[in-house]
Amino acid sequence: MKRLINYLVLVGCMVILAPGLLSAQELAVEEIVQKANLASYYAGNDGKSNVKMTITDSQGRVRNREFKILRLTTEEGKEQKFYVYFNKPSDVSKMVFMVWKHSGPDDDRWLYLPALDLVRRIAAGDKRSSFVGSHFLYEDVSGRNIDVDTHELIDSSGDYYKIKNIPKSSKGVEFAYYIVWVDKDNFMPMKAEYYNEQGKLIRSIEALEVADVEGYPTVVKSVAKDMERSGETMMEFSDVEYNVGLTDDIFTERYLRRAPVKWVR
Amino acid sequence: MGKVKFIILSVTVLSIISPVFAGKASAKMPEMHGFIEADLGLKLTDDTTKRDDYNLLEQRLQLKSMYFFEGDNLLSQKSTAINFKGDFVVDEYYSGKTSFDLRELNVSLTPFDFMDTKLGHQILTWGTGDYLFLNDLFPKDYISFFTGRDDEYLKKPSDAARFMVYPKYFNMDLVFIPIFEPNETPKGDRLSFFDSFQGGIAGCDSDRDISKPPRQIKNSVYAARAYKNFGSYEGAMYFYRGFNPSPKSYKNEAARQLYYERLDAYGSSIRGPILDGIGNGEVSYYYSPDDSKGNIRTVQNSMIKYLLGYEKDMGNDLRLGFQYMLEQILDYKQYRNALLATDYSWDEFRHILTNRITKYFVNQTVKLSVFTFFSPSDMDAYTRPSVTWNITDAWTWTTGANLIWGKDDTTELGNMKNNKNIFTRLRYSF
Repeated sequence: MKRLINYLVLVGCMVILAPGLLSAQELAVEEIVQKANLASYYAGNDGKSNVKMTITDSQGRVRNREFKILRLTTEEGKEQKFYVYFNKPSDVSKMVFMVWKHSGPDDDRWLYLPALDLVRRIAAGDKRSSFVGSHFLYEDVSGRNIDVDTHELIDSSGDYYKIKNIPKSSKGVEFAYYIVWVDKDNFMPMKAEYYNEQGKLIRSIEALEVADVEGYPTVVKSVAKDMERSGETMMEFSDVEYNVGLTDDIFTERYLRRAPVKWVR
Repeated sequence: MGKVKFIILSVTVLSIISPVFAGKASAKMPEMHGFIEADLGLKLTDDTTKRDDYNLLEQRLQLKSMYFFEGDNLLSQKSTAINFKGDFVVDEYYSGKTSFDLRELNVSLTPFDFMDTKLGHQILTWGTGDYLFLNDLFPKDYISFFTGRDDEYLKKPSDAARFMVYPKYFNMDLVFIPIFEPNETPKGDRLSFFDSFQGGIAGCDSDRDISKPPRQIKNSVYAARAYKNFGSYEGAMYFYRGFNPSPKSYKNEAARQLYYERLDAYGSSIRGPILDGIGNGEVSYYYSPDDSKGNIRTVQNSMIKYLLGYEKDMGNDLRLGFQYMLEQILDYKQYRNALLATDYSWDEFRHILTNRITKYFVNQTVKLSVFTFFSPSDMDAYTRPSVTWNITDAWTWTTGANLIWGKDDTTELGNMKNNKNIFTRLRYSF
């Protein structure tokens, strides 16, 4: 009889507590995703870095891109501005690519072509197209809006939170879902694997080296791999600095036409 | 004489910025970049230009560099830089004639926090059109465009002083060009065109003379643009006071002389996101002071030009663009009444539709581009297909064609119809 009462109490507790436990876990996954997003794209109020890309195609041919990237957060977790100044290859040197990233669906993008003194506005429809011919996509560089996917914590046993992300709309998305490994210590996403409808791995991004820069964990070396067509791009960051004092006016037509010497040299 | 001056200038610039070549490379020395390129354009149509087989055969070496002043001095504090870009060209079309084409030689600096300036030889561009220019009346090189040189050469440099002013509530560009620089337009030796004096499409037989405005202070060109962002939308207003950059008016018919008539332009534009793409609208009113009433048959009337454009990224590295432009001749009745029975005449309205298709393949190393102009009112069309292959970071191979059709010989595109060609360019960049 006593055992039965104990049993009933236990069941009763479970019934009462279970929804609470469940929502706590749901909250947790959103919190992890939120923190991972902030850790990977919003470190500091602003930041600058030199970036070197080594693009290797399926036949082993190598191409290089070198650019300077300036980033300013205008609304934490949401609005950001990017200024990308190209150094290499030489036929695109001094070309500038500028993005105003919005929390809504469409970013504003501009391209400045120095040889023509032309400021072009670029339609921002496809965020999942290649960034400068590399295996990184626009969305990998500026961040994928966390609200466009549903998130499920599928494993939290080891050093990582393993999160499965399913796009709410399959429109304009080449994968069915992707899995992200988030470091439990600093919430840095260390690996992302993209799968198709058949559950086959089609592409991956992996952080190969994370350094502490002014107290912010920072990915300084990462690789994007295309398993379908084979080929990969290595991205290396150097001279990373945060909170350098970038101002809003740098991200305007003025500085597209005349690169801010102080920041891009 | 101008050429000699350019060569001296370029040698001076080279000697200043090229100790790299002398083996004294240091970290502070500016880098020298550029390319070597071979161009060939084979003709597909017969005409009476200088050569039957080709209209483009040249090699060019482009060098470009930028020098920043450093250290604790005023020039450095004002972010002063010297920009240089120049092409050494061997032109086989003119039997191996060598020339130096100075593209840029200017000083840029920020004298005040609210102002940037660029002084010297420079490329100037503004406006929202794609290959259609309404308020951008800065010089263009249509000979380069129609023979198949790189797009870069469509823009012709000006000797100008440009002041870019950034007060608090809007931005402003002020441009002063002391000596008017016209467009490079077909003359008959390399490209054939409709010459009214010859009564048809003419080549080397064209003997018309084009007179430039005399070099006087009153003939200086002024241009201004005021612009402002409204959220994601960019609004601009434009002003131009100068001359029509293409020779369309007659100075002295008996002497077969054309000239660049005075032109004032007032315009505005808007550009921003619409319907999942980028839309733009631009308008420009061209006032012709030399024929303000529109009743002088030999001088261009005032006009209005309207432009609507739309571009969309379709995904998969495919981008589509469309434009519609309407040109209206003002005081058209006066113009018609003034015409003589033997005169060639223009329609009151000219409609132009354009389409651009851009598609990238193989990790964006192969670019396919097709740009088409079509005028339903003139019944003429011009399509520019091209394929660009970035073989490596250094080597680029471009092949394309200039295909022009026209029902009549007199229309804007139709008069160029005997210049059909296929072109190819091989470039090594460094």
